[in-house]
This record gives sequence, C-alpha cells and structure tokens, in this order.
Amino acid sequence: MVQAGSKKSSVSKINTKAGISSLIIFVVLLLAWIAGFSSRLFAVIRFESIIHEFDPWFNYRATAYMVKHGFYNFLNWFDERAWYPLGRIVGGTVYPGLMLTSGSIHYILHLLHINVHIRDVCVFLAPVFSGLTAISTYFLTKELWSAGAGLFAACFIAIVPGYISRSVAGSYDNEGIAIFALQFTYFLWIKSVKTGSVFWAVAASLSYFYMVSAWGGYVFIINLIPLHVFVLLLMGRYSNRLFTSYTTFYILGLIFSMQIPFVGFQPIRTSEHMAAGGVFALLFAVGVLKYMQSMMSKSEFKSLVVFGGLISAAVVFLGVVLLTYAGYVAPWSGRFYSLWDTGYAKIHIPIIASVSEHQPTTWFSFFFDLHILVATFPAGLWYTIKNINDERVFVVLYALSAVYFAGVMVRLMLTLTPVVCILSGIAFSGLLELFLREDDSSRGEDSEEEEQSTPSKRLYDKAGKVPKMKHEQSRDTDNIGPNLRSIVTVVILLLLMLFAVHCTWVTSNAYSSPSIVLASYGSDGTRQILDDFREAYFWLSQNTADDARIMSWWDYGYQIAGMANRTTLVDNNTWNNSHIALVGKAMSSNESAAYEIMTALDVDYVLVIFGGVIGYSGDDINKFLWMVRIAEGEHPKDIRESDYFTEHGEFRVDAEGSPTLLNCLMYKLSYYRFGELKLDYRSPAGFDRTRNAVIGHKDFQLTYLEEAYTTEHWLVRVYRVKKPDEFNRPRIPIANRIVKSSNYITKKNIKRKKGTIKNKPLVVKGKRLSSKQ
Amino acid sequence: MKLIILSLFSIFATTFAQGPTLVLLDNQVIKETHSIFFKSLQDRGYTLTFKIADDASLVLSRYGEYLYKNLIIFAPTVEEFGGNLNVEIITQFVDEGGNVLVAGSSVTGDVLRELASECGFEVDDEGAFVIDHLNYDITDEGQHTKLVVSSENLIDAPVIVGPKKGIAPMLYQGTGILTDVENPLVLPLLTADSTAYSFNPDQPIKEYPHAVGRDTVLIAGLQARNNARVVFSGSLAFFSDEFFTAATQKAQGGESSMKSGNEDVAITISQWVFKEHGQLRVRSVKHHKEGEKEAPKDYTIMDDVVYTIEIDILEKGQWKPFTAKDIQLEFVRIDPFVRTTLKRNPSGQYEAKFKIPDVYGVYQFKVDYDRVGYTRLFSTTQVSVRPLQHTQYERFITSAYPYYTGAFSMMLGVFVFSFVFLHLKDDDKKSKSE
Repeated sequence: MVQAGSKKSSVSKINTKAGISSLIIFVVLLLAWIAGFSSRLFAVIRFESIIHEFDPWFNYRATAYMVKHGFYNFLNWFDERAWYPLGRIVGGTVYPGLMLTSGSIHYILHLLHINVHIRDVCVFLAPVFSGLTAISTYFLTKELWSAGAGLFAACFIAIVPGYISRSVAGSYDNEGIAIFALQFTYFLWIKSVKTGSVFWAVAASLSYFYMVSAWGGYVFIINLIPLHVFVLLLMGRYSNRLFTSYTTFYILGLIFSMQIPFVGFQPIRTSEHMAAGGVFALLFAVGVLKYMQSMMSKSEFKSLVVFGGLISAAVVFLGVVLLTYAGYVAPWSGRFYSLWDTGYAKIHIPIIASVSEHQPTTWFSFFFDLHILVATFPAGLWYTIKNINDERVFVVLYALSAVYFAGVMVRLMLTLTPVVCILSGIAFSGLLELFLREDDSSRGEDSEEEEQSTPSKRLYDKAGKVPKMKHEQSRDTDNIGPNLRSIVTVVILLLLMLFAVHCTWVTSNAYSSPSIVLASYGSDGTRQILDDFREAYFWLSQNTADDARIMSWWDYGYQIAGMANRTTLVDNNTWNNSHIALVGKAMSSNESAAYEIMTALDVDYVLVIFGGVIGYSGDDINKFLWMVRIAEGEHPKDIRESDYFTEHGEFRVDAEGSPTLLNCLMYKLSYYRFGELKLDYRSPAGFDRTRNAVIGHKDFQLTYLEEAYTTEHWLVRVYRVKKPDEFNRPRIPIANRIVKSSNYITKKNIKRKKGTIKNKPLVVKGKRLSSKQ
Repeated sequence: MKLIILSLFSIFATTFAQGPTLVLLDNQVIKETHSIFFKSLQDRGYTLTFKIADDASLVLSRYGEYLYKNLIIFAPTVEEFGGNLNVEIITQFVDEGGNVLVAGSSVTGDVLRELASECGFEVDDEGAFVIDHLNYDITDEGQHTKLVVSSENLIDAPVIVGPKKGIAPMLYQGTGILTDVENPLVLPLLTADSTAYSFNPDQPIKEYPHAVGRDTVLIAGLQARNNARVVFSGSLAFFSDEFFTAATQKAQGGESSMKSGNEDVAITISQWVFKEHGQLRVRSVKHHKEGEKEAPKDYTIMDDVVYTIEIDILEKGQWKPFTAKDIQLEFVRIDPFVRTTLKRNPSGQYEAKFKIPDVYGVYQFKVDYDRVGYTRLFSTTQVSVRPLQHTQYERFITSAYPYYTGAFSMMLGVFVFSFVFLHLKDDDKKSKSE
C-alpha cells in the first residue's frame, strides 16, 4: 500500500490515531465474532450439543470415519452401508473440505492434549467460522469502500439470519465454512485486481481451492470472476493488472480445483466452467489487440478488431458447440437449468424440485432473512454505482447475480446475504458519514482519510473525479441543522437496534431447532420434548441385526446411517435417480407389488415418518406425491400420479380419497392401527391432525409386513418385512375352496375334552349293546 | 464379510434313532390291520405312540417342547380331535418343523379336510370314491373303486417314491384329492389314470365331478418352506396289510402281479415324509481370492475369486457329501452378474472360480438348489466389492506420454530460459560497465 500522503503529518499523531482506530477495529471485530458465535448457540443451550437435520449427519459420520481411519482410508472409503446394494464411493463423491477442516482442528487440539470429542468440534465449527466470515467481510468491504463500512458489514454478517440459518451450532454443513471461503476468495481477488500482483492472485486461487474443496457453490465464483473480467473488458477497463491477476488466478485455480476427486475433470469438461475458459481466451485476445494497437494505424486496427473479433468469437462459439455435441463437454446440468427456468425441475427432474430448499423464494423470506438490510442494500448499490471503479464493478455484479439466484431458490439466499451485508454496510457508513460529521475536527479527520485513500485510488482509478464529487456532496449537507442530524442518527440507531432484535428473534425461533428433536409448547407454556426420531433410531441400532437393511424415503437415509448405523437403500446424496424411483415405486404400489420390490432389494425393515398424531407436517404422507412423481418418472407404466388424486383432482386421505392411494404401501404403513386410536374426546377415532381428516381406510391388516416398533408419538413407525419362508405353506382360502365343508360345531368344552369320531362303535362294559347315545 | 446361511433344516433326525411318533387311529383295530406298515416304522427305529383320535388326553407339546417329531393320522372319520389337539395346533406343528402323514377315506371327517386345505389340497366330498371303469382290480365289488394304479402314475422323483421301474401296480381304494394349482409347493405323488374320476358311486352323476382324469390326485405331498413335510393319502387302505400283500390283476387287460407295489411305495413315502430321504444341508461356505486362503474384508473389482461350498446329504442317519451335477452359483447384485455351475472336487466340495465384474457394490454369493423331493438349499453370503483404491491405478499410462513430455520439456525450457536470461543480463551489465 502506498501511504505517501499522510507521511507529512507528525508521527505521534498518526500513531495515536492509527492506534485508536485499529483498537476500535479490533474490538468491533472481536465483538462481532463473539456476538455471532453466541447467537448461534440457542440450539445447544435449549437442546444439547447435537448434530442437526439431515446432511450434517453424513458430514459428521464421514468426519468421524476420517478421524478414526485416517485421510487416505477416508479417500478410499467405499461405504457398503449406503445405497444398498450399489454402495457409495464416499471419497470420490464428497467435498472433503469440511471434514478436513474439522479433522485438522481435532488433530491440533489433541496435539495440545485438549481432548475434545470430534462431535463437539463439528457442532461448533460453523459458529467459529462465522467469525472468520465476519472478518473476511470486513476486509472485502474495506477494499471496496472504507474501514467503517467494513465494520458495519462485519457486524451485519455476524448476526444476519440469512447466514445464521446455515451456520447455527450443530448445523455441520458445507455452507458453514464455504461462505467464509467465498468471502475470503473475493477479498483476495479484489486485492489482486487492485494491486495486479501475482502474490494476491495466487492467494486468491489458493482460497478458491479451499472453496472448491468445501462446497459445490464454487461454480458461483468461477462464473462471477470471469463475468467481472468480461464486464471490465466491455467497459474498456482492460489493464495489465487485470491480465496478470486473472490469468494467474484462472490457471492455478483450474489446476487446484481438479485435485478434488469429486470435481475431477469437470472444470474442463462441463458447460458450467466454460465461461471462465472463454474469458481467459478473450483476455489474451484483448491483450494482443492492445499490443497491436500500439503498432498500427487507427483504421487498420478498427477493421482488425471488427473482423478478427467476429471471426474469433464465431470460432470459439462453434468450438464449444461442437465439443458439446461430440460429447467432450457435458451440457448444462439439470440443477443449472433450473436456475434459469424455475419450472424446468418440476417437469424434468422431480428429485430436485422435491427438496424444499430448491423452491423459489417468497417475498416474505427476503424480509425475514435480511430485515432492514433488504431496504438499505439498494442504497449501497447506488453508492457503488455512483462511485464506480474496477473493484466496485465486481460487487455490483455480485449483487445483481446473487439477487437473481436468491429469487430462484430459497437455498441461494445464502449467497445473497454476504453481498447484502457489504452493500448495507456501505449504505450505513455513507449515511452516518453525512450525518455524524459535526464540525471541522471530524471533517478534518474525514478529509485526512480521504487523503489517505485518494493517492492509492488515483493510481488505478480512471474515474478520477469521484472523490471530489463526494467533497462537494458533503459540503452541501453541511447545511443540515443539528436537530435534523440527531433525529436521523437516532432513527438509524433505532433501525439498527430493531435489526439486532429481529435477528435474535428469528435465530431463536426459526433457525435453532435441530429438527431431530422437536419441541412443543403446552397451553401453560411448558415445553415438551418430542424425541421420537432418536428413539426410533436407537431402537433400530439395538434391536436389529447389524447388517439389517432399512428402506425409508431418502430424507432419512443419512440419519439412519448416522444414528442407527444400519444399511440404507437411498439417502440424501441423491446420485442415483432410478434407485430412488424404485423405493418410491415400492412406497406407492400396493402391498404385494411392493413386497416383490422389497424382496428383490433384500429389505428387512421399512421406516416411515407419520405426523398424524402430533400434527407434524413434514411427514411422509405429505411428501408422498413427490415419491409418486419420482417413481412415475422411471416407471410410467406402473405408477401414474393421476391415480392418487380424487376425481376432482384433490389429494385426500379420507374416505373420498382415491382407492389407489388408500391401498398403497405408504398409506397402509402410516395408518396401520391408526383407525383404533382416539386422540381426544372431541375428535373421532382415526383423526389425522396433520391433514385434519378422518382417514378413509381404517381396519386393514398387513400381509407381508408386521409392525416392529412405533415411537411414543407415532412419529416414526418401523415395520419388519416378512421373509418368504414365513409364508410356510400357502393355504387355500375358504372362498377359493371347491369342496365346501359343512360347518362343524365343536362339542368340546372345558370339562369334556374328548373328541368325536363318526360312527364310532361304542363299547359299554357289562351291559347289553345299546345304540348310540 | 458377512455370512448368512439361510438353509432351513429340521434339527431332528440327526441320529439314526428316529424321532418319537404319535399315531392317531380311529380305533384299535387299525393297529392290527396296518401292522406291516407300523412294523416297518418300528424296525427303522421309530417309537410309535398309538392313541385313539378322540382321546381326551391328546397333547403334541408340553411347556413349549414338542413331545413328538412326527405325526401319523390314520383316523379318517375323526370329526374332532380329543385333548387340546386341533387343526391350528397341527398346522403350527408343521410350521415349526414337524412332519405329518395323513390318510383319509371316502368318509373323511371335516377336521382332516380343514387340515388338508391348510396345506394346499382338498379332499373330495363325503362318500366320493375314485372310480375307474377300466383300471380296477378283479376283486372289486362292482363299483369299480378298487383301482389298480400303475407305477407310471407316480411322481418322477426317486427320492420320494423310489425308482419307478420295477414297482408292481398298486391297489388304491379311497377318495380323490384336489390340489391347489397355484401352490408351487404341492407335489402330486400319485395320480389316477386318465380314465378315472372322483364321485359318489351310489349317486347318479348330475354335476361335473370335482376331479377328473389325471387331475385326480391319490396321494399328495407338501414340502413347506421350512422343509417340514406333509403327505396326504386319500386312501387309508393303501397302507393296509391287505393291500400290501394282495396280488393284483386288472379286470380289463388282465395285467397281473403276485404282490402289489403298495408296500414298497408306502415305505419309501414314509421314509421321505419323515425326512430319512432327500435331506440336504450346507456344511460350510468359503470364498477367497485366488491364491489366498482367507476371505478378505472386501473384494476389489476384477478380482479372481474362488467360492467353495460343501453340501451334505443325510443317508441312514449320517451326513455324507452330496453328489449332483446341477448345482449353480449366482453372484448377485439385484440381478445376477455371474451364473456358473459348481464343479465337484474329488474331496466332495463344490467349487467355482470366476472374475468379479467391473462393477462395484454389495454382492451376494447365492446357491439356490431347489429340486423335487430334496430340502431346499438356499445359501447367501454377502460380500462387498469395492472400486480400486487411489494407489491401485496404473502409475504411468502410455496415452499420457505426450503430457509427460510436455511437462518435462516445459521445465527444461524454463531452466534453459532462466539460465540464458541471467547470462545475458550479466553480459549487458558487463558491457555497460565496460
């Protein structure tokens, strides 16, 4: 950094000033870290130190495996307990960054003889990393705007619900560390664009490597950075700095990313990564042109640019198309298509659409997750566009693309949150700069800051007039009276306070449930813990054979593997659609058809989630239509979605429901013996609280399965699949018998134990032979 | 490695002394009229307990332990068993591995019909006889119900009924049995000729008989999925001393023999039903990579694997190696990937060698040997087949040599370039300073 401007002022003054400001920065970041960490602990305090939800259970299991067996065994881990009987190569189908991170923390702690269980490392990893995210956000914002804005952004990201939703204690998922990697990569990228130094570009690509190892969302980086370069080229902001940083970053990043087994050759084989390569080529082309420009006349150059540009663009485009057509480059994946066409997934890949976090975002959740930031971030965007330079182009693009993606998928709210925090930080710091500056002393401080930053900006910012404009602005606002200033300040402070309150409230109420332990509140406010999931999984682990195979819908695969340690057929790593469709088909067929599938897959137990007793809405009957849709995708002859609706096109479980639905396996397993259950005095027997209906098919028996275990609140029901030899001797049902037998009425009773024989000659001793009694 | 052996054998009959057997009779007279049959059983080591079927003290089990291993019901007319015996108890006895031999007659009682239906056959109406106007014995009393059945009509399974050739024609007098066509476990041990039918000889035929021709089964057998065996004969007289010793002569055609085949067939069937014949077991299953001894933790794709299975058969109370040429092994992951015939070693083991396919997953070695008359042999052994480890791939691939060349030439180039670069710079400086 060049700090030539401030060297003239006295050394001591600088030292104290710099000391105080760095102290403030340090304290604020530390507080942000602590606040972010502690607000993520609701779940641990309310429940216990436990891994949450679904995917984290796999991550935890994989981490525990890695810690126990070492990294290379983890890399070669063939998990025969998942996806029975296909198995899963875990090492090659996982982003190992998360496991490596917590594994190495565990290793270091144990080196220091701090014996922490790996589970606790996993539980607290995301909260700890949220602090690092805050710090890297601070640096990124500082590079983009100013240190003050950076502090704001760091505080925002520490507590904003949109990020907390993915990083509460126990939510041990890739996103927890990936957001840190994302922000840090962007910071290093901005740094390298600003300085044009190979060092920062290499650092950026290393950070990108970490991101690739941690999360599939790295595709966002490898498209956003080329987009940034491309837009800079379009704006005529080509520079050698840009050339150096991008070429270094791209080549190193490409080679690094291919070291992750799961990514492999994707960066050169799939369409998602082609844009980066195209921009790489384009950058060279522009570089060559710039060089030639210095040697040719203007008209010559113009025609060269037009023809050469057109021809090379056509060649590149045709090349990519041909490669795609020939199969060297994979076309866009379905997940990617669904980003452009929100209806695509529902039609073509129901398995993607069936995940709730892949649904389009509602307006409500923008406010819920971001609160006032959603209102202030356009202001920040406006500030940056107004004072545009190379790196601010980046944040503008980041903001625009992230807003779009967040609108398409709820899950991508996560990538929007950091940029919202950055821009809101800029907005707030801009506002406060205006209204908190009271007199000359503060203005002097401010101008000094300006002085500090201007030389460095002037180095590479072509829009040189920007700082001046700002001075003019601030001079205009100097006319604001002290009353107005204090009112605005108070309002801003109030807003920020409300924001903090909202964040805490949302975190505590919406995002701090482990979802494997449920809590319900009685009318008197007492808390009831519903621990049915763990009850069922513990039952499985204690009462079934070690190699028992358990069929359930894929949502529960990771939990069964993690908590019950049993073989599952499908799980949350939804890599094999046809296998999932087979399970879906079994669930949506009638009992005998399902039995054939289940024996073919050697299923020992079936596990269903049933919320009808406690009114839990995320149960299998509510997910059932997705099972039907996925099964229909693979077996359109056997399963048809329309069969499961009534004539009026309704999905109902009561007496008017379609007969196919009332006789399918999932219905029977959910409602077996439920018809006998009377929940309270007001409702009739067999009243389903989730769907508010009396079930339509009550007294049925199961032929091929038997109930093995039902948890306290009926939330999890486990059934044992009977083995073929339990149907020992197929009897002839009475209805099918050709020879009808007379109904014989028994003559035996408690006293008379003697049987009867027809026409039995009766021997009576000592008397004359008499006829039958 | 996981080993699941799912071969179901009865734990009984492992010693030469055969198990205790309960014989239920209509009356004590049957004990005398069927003495040859009972004597043959006693000679083979069975302890027979004779009871009248309506005896009030009948019990099959006490304190959860069965008192008998086999049950013979020679009481066709029984309407209700005495004591705590009933159809449920008997079917439960079958489900838990007990063997049952039942003989009916034209006046079969309801309880036996019920028992028959539970096992997949039906006994024709009361009073019905199997009638054959072409193949009856000369001693027949005019209703053509005392049939002469050729040994050709026996089921094609030497394990159950002995070698078909050389068995004299058999005498049969009794009702017909209908079998459930959808039940794959039911075996028609002896069928009537194509000219026979089953009906009440005293009544005019107004409706179509329940069983006609070869569908009329005379003796039916069932081997349940737990390998318990049940035989139901429509004729009690088939087992009688009278039929055992009688000479046969067909009234039409006049073929005759000095002694009927009843004794031979009845005794072989009794040997089968009480599991003296046709009982198999898997003694051991071994599998390992070729050239190794022990089973590995898991296999890698494309391994050569050796699978060995030892199969025993019970002969005269002793387990001896079983010989057959048609035992197959399947290597299954949902679908069979390998199916091969097991070859018999001189030492009596069956062995197969094959290469594991290039597909990873959880497989099962599956031997499913299901032949008429033999116990079902079903053995599965689950193994996992993993992909290559990261160290098991080829280190240098020929097709990658251009890339190796590229990398090394680049390194060399940089080295040369830096050398030249430094050298020239030095020269420049020197020239400048000079």
